[in-house]
Amino acid sequence: MGKAAVHHLPMAASGAARTAVLEPAVHQSFDGALSRHGAEIYRYALHLTRNRPDADDLYQETALKAYRAWDRLPCDANHRAWLYRIATNTFLSDKRKSSRLRSLDGEVAVETIPAVAQDEDGRLDAGDLLCDVEHFIGSLPPKQRVALVQRKYLEMGYSEIAAMLGCSEEAARRSVHEALRKLRDRFGDRI
Amino acid sequence: MIEALAVPAPGPESPKLEVEADIIGADPCDVACDAMPAHVVGDLCAKDEHWLREHITHCAYCATELRRYDRLNSALTVCGDRCCADVHQPPPLALPPREKIWYTRIDSPVGELILAATREGLREIDFAKETPDALFAIRTRESGADALYVARIEDAEPEARWHLQRAATELNEYFAGNRARFDVPLDWGGMAPFQRAVLEATATVPFGHVDSYAGIARRIGNPKATRAVGNALGRNPIPVIVPCHRVIRSDSSLGGYTGGLVIKQHLLHLEGVTLA
Repeated sequence: MGKAAVHHLPMAASGAARTAVLEPAVHQSFDGALSRHGAEIYRYALHLTRNRPDADDLYQETALKAYRAWDRLPCDANHRAWLYRIATNTFLSDKRKSSRLRSLDGEVAVETIPAVAQDEDGRLDAGDLLCDVEHFIGSLPPKQRVALVQRKYLEMGYSEIAAMLGCSEEAARRSVHEALRKLRDRFGDRI
Repeated sequence: MIEALAVPAPGPESPKLEVEADIIGADPCDVACDAMPAHVVGDLCAKDEHWLREHITHCAYCATELRRYDRLNSALTVCGDRCCADVHQPPPLALPPREKIWYTRIDSPVGELILAATREGLREIDFAKETPDALFAIRTRESGADALYVARIEDAEPEARWHLQRAATELNEYFAGNRARFDVPLDWGGMAPFQRAVLEATATVPFGHVDSYAGIARRIGNPKATRAVGNALGRNPIPVIVPCHRVIRSDSSLGGYTGGLVIKQHLLHLEGVTLA
């Protein structure tokens, strides 16, 4: 693909086999990359969106963008990192779009966290706790959510996280730690 | 998978907690609690982890706080496991069907031309020296279509083949001075309305005649859009057949041309147009 790919330009089969058009080699390399990394990109989409339909959409959009831009990648590109980057940017721009739409409608974007269920002794009901923690993660500002997911679940280093979010390493680190402090403030007294 | 209460591998940071706690007026408990989020995600180096563990052996408050953070960490872990619980495969990819565009090269008195057609009609003519093959293919694929090169026109699939054949024949006749009107069907693709209006208006300027950018703007009912007309013509995907070479400035100077003014002049000369 990319600069070394002139000889990979697709040629229609000549002569009798007119309708047997060879698919471009670039399709194959995209398919290969997707079969290697697709599952983890999808899991990343699930971590970020926390629901199936949104994760499916995010994954589809990511794969489609990657497919369209595949030619521009240099031969030695790090496909995995590049796919993560596309997924992250797509997620963040979708979030920006939907918050703009909400403000255009005159609605205030309020992510309400439902009251936490408690048993008689005031301890959190385990099932509800997990739901509430999940919901809480979903209510974090998008970039902070990305940073937390990347650090906690993907165990990415801060230089990678910073590169993907377009911020400094220190800002990425602060963002993750602040998310955890928020979590502690919200649930710590009753866990 | 992260084991619930295991401490993540120590981070690469340099140790600093002990130093921070020793600063005059610092409260070691503040230092400890501030470091707990870092502990949760494994940002602390081994020395700092050790310092933290040491601190909680003689500080019940911080020990409780650390247990809270560790339990929150478990909750996070379980949440993460749950959201990916039965996911082993990503959903099957539903790539939209990609349009096919066959393209070939022909010679002409104005240099080598790239002709590109879909099943619907002729889609593009490029002056080959401006558009190397690889660039054409990349641009096409980025717009969502598959660019399929055919060395011989007859190797393209049927409908596209006819459009390519017709375009090649008609162009040859035009250059030989034997054709004034083109009949090959054109495929505008998903062209924006304004651009399409400009090009359709341009297509009505007859062989051997010229009009101005302002004149085209008037034709489309948008008399102030002279500059936009110029830009739209600059993006004409089918030069020669859609005769943007017949559009010049109001002061009779040539204006612009994607293929270069030499070609524009050649075409006008071919059509017997002399500019004042």
